[in-house]
Amino acid sequence: MKKLAAIIALALLGSSILLADSLTLSFTQNMTDNLFQNRFSENDQLSSLSFYVDKNLSQWSLYAEGSYSYLYQNPSLTYYIQDAGIDYLYPLNEKSAIYFSLAGRGALYRSDYSDFNYLSANFFAAFKSYFSPTSIFKSNYSLEYKNYKDSLFDFISHSVMLSFDKYLQTKTTLKAELDWGYKHFFHPYIIEKGMFMQEPQAFMGRERRDPSGQGPHYFQTVTETQGQGIQVLSLAGLIAQGLGNKLGLRLSGMKQWVLSGQNPFTFIEEFYAVENPSYDRFSWDGYNVETQLTLLVPWNVQLKIGYTISNKEFPGIESFDLEGNPLGIMRKDNRNQIEVRAGKNFPRFSVFLSYFFINNSSNDLYFDWNGHFLSLGIEWNLPLGGKK
Amino acid sequence: MAVSSSFGQNVQHFYNVDKEIQLEGTIQKIIMEPRYKDTAPFLVVILEEKNTKKIYHVEISPVWFFDHDFYQGENLAVTGSLYTSGESSLNIIAREVQSRGEILILRDKHGFPNWQGGKGQMQRKGKRKGKRY
Repeated sequence: MKKLAAIIALALLGSSILLADSLTLSFTQNMTDNLFQNRFSENDQLSSLSFYVDKNLSQWSLYAEGSYSYLYQNPSLTYYIQDAGIDYLYPLNEKSAIYFSLAGRGALYRSDYSDFNYLSANFFAAFKSYFSPTSIFKSNYSLEYKNYKDSLFDFISHSVMLSFDKYLQTKTTLKAELDWGYKHFFHPYIIEKGMFMQEPQAFMGRERRDPSGQGPHYFQTVTETQGQGIQVLSLAGLIAQGLGNKLGLRLSGMKQWVLSGQNPFTFIEEFYAVENPSYDRFSWDGYNVETQLTLLVPWNVQLKIGYTISNKEFPGIESFDLEGNPLGIMRKDNRNQIEVRAGKNFPRFSVFLSYFFINNSSNDLYFDWNGHFLSLGIEWNLPLGGKK
Repeated sequence: MAVSSSFGQNVQHFYNVDKEIQLEGTIQKIIMEPRYKDTAPFLVVILEEKNTKKIYHVEISPVWFFDHDFYQGENLAVTGSLYTSGESSLNIIAREVQSRGEILILRDKHGFPNWQGGKGQMQRKGKRKGKRY
């Protein structure tokens, strides 16, 4: 059966490539000393191999993308993600356009993490218009449905964004953005209070690795009956300054409020370069401030240097001590992040090197961590259609 | 809002590497108009060249109307293939654009599009690669 599925997948891939207008192949090698982003640092490397094909049909575009990511020290977290979609760009006039897309995605993780497997569908609509030659209005709406192997995570979400920006004679760009989102979990969360367990039971809770040096423990989700929805609102601002063609500076900030609802999980986790369903934009309340310098250095190397601070609280998430005892306070993280990225485009391919350092300070000591993250990637574009 | 007379026309032209030029100038106007038969409309910026003050119509790509914001008064450095249309206006099919410390690669050195057709790139940014910090 697996062999047949592989043959069908290869046949689909082959036919897609034959019909496509372009093919992009990419390879990224990621290295980190803290894969699970917690106090008990764990080294790993992640290799990702991806393909992307598309076909343009007038104002329609069909695309498909596949990405296989292998983790060397944690092969049970290895995964494959397949995307496919169709989108449409329609100009209303020479200053305005609307855009629609409908996409599907499937994610397959191996063994221990198969509860992360999901199928999703996403509808996206966007509008952009030049109010004047120096000011732009944008809005978009996104509808996402995700169905996980573990129904604990299943949800549907709606997001609406409005933004307005203005470019000044001083080469300064000002931007304001308002986002609203609502996430509805399908799981009723009527669960008895749970305790630490040595083995997962139907994996209803999240694995908490090695908190006391005695092997993995698992939490049963402790959230009692409560609203199944989380509603967030955020306000963001940006000021960017161009200094000629080779230098750009930007300062941006964002404040997010959780208007209603709270996280239904025992705790929130982020994994490096791997999507963890317990964490997303609906998980937190707080702010971040980011500065970034973009610079073109000799040999047309694009250099980006950034520094970000963030302060996040996780409503519904209680902090624990390292023995697993609840502290009776909401989890709160302060994060400092430094990023340096260099990229270079060649005629047929592009390469990049990026480095992150993150210091995450949390009142839940398990999530008090530092991490170094290094990535090296190459992307190869193969035009298969005409020159136009 | 006025709609230009060129809106709706289909101009047949291809990237000619022998006619590649580089120029730098200031954006005078941004429009979106059909450029090729059976393709999505293109983002076109009308650029005044810094030294000669000549006006060029710079053809960017169909995707970048949503992906990148250009503004009147902004400086751009452009590498692309020059052609003249029937009305003797100067047109450039852009291959590379420099702005605010970033290089936007639109085509390869032979002129083949490099913008990955899928306009869905816009909303998929950040979902596949990198981390969610």
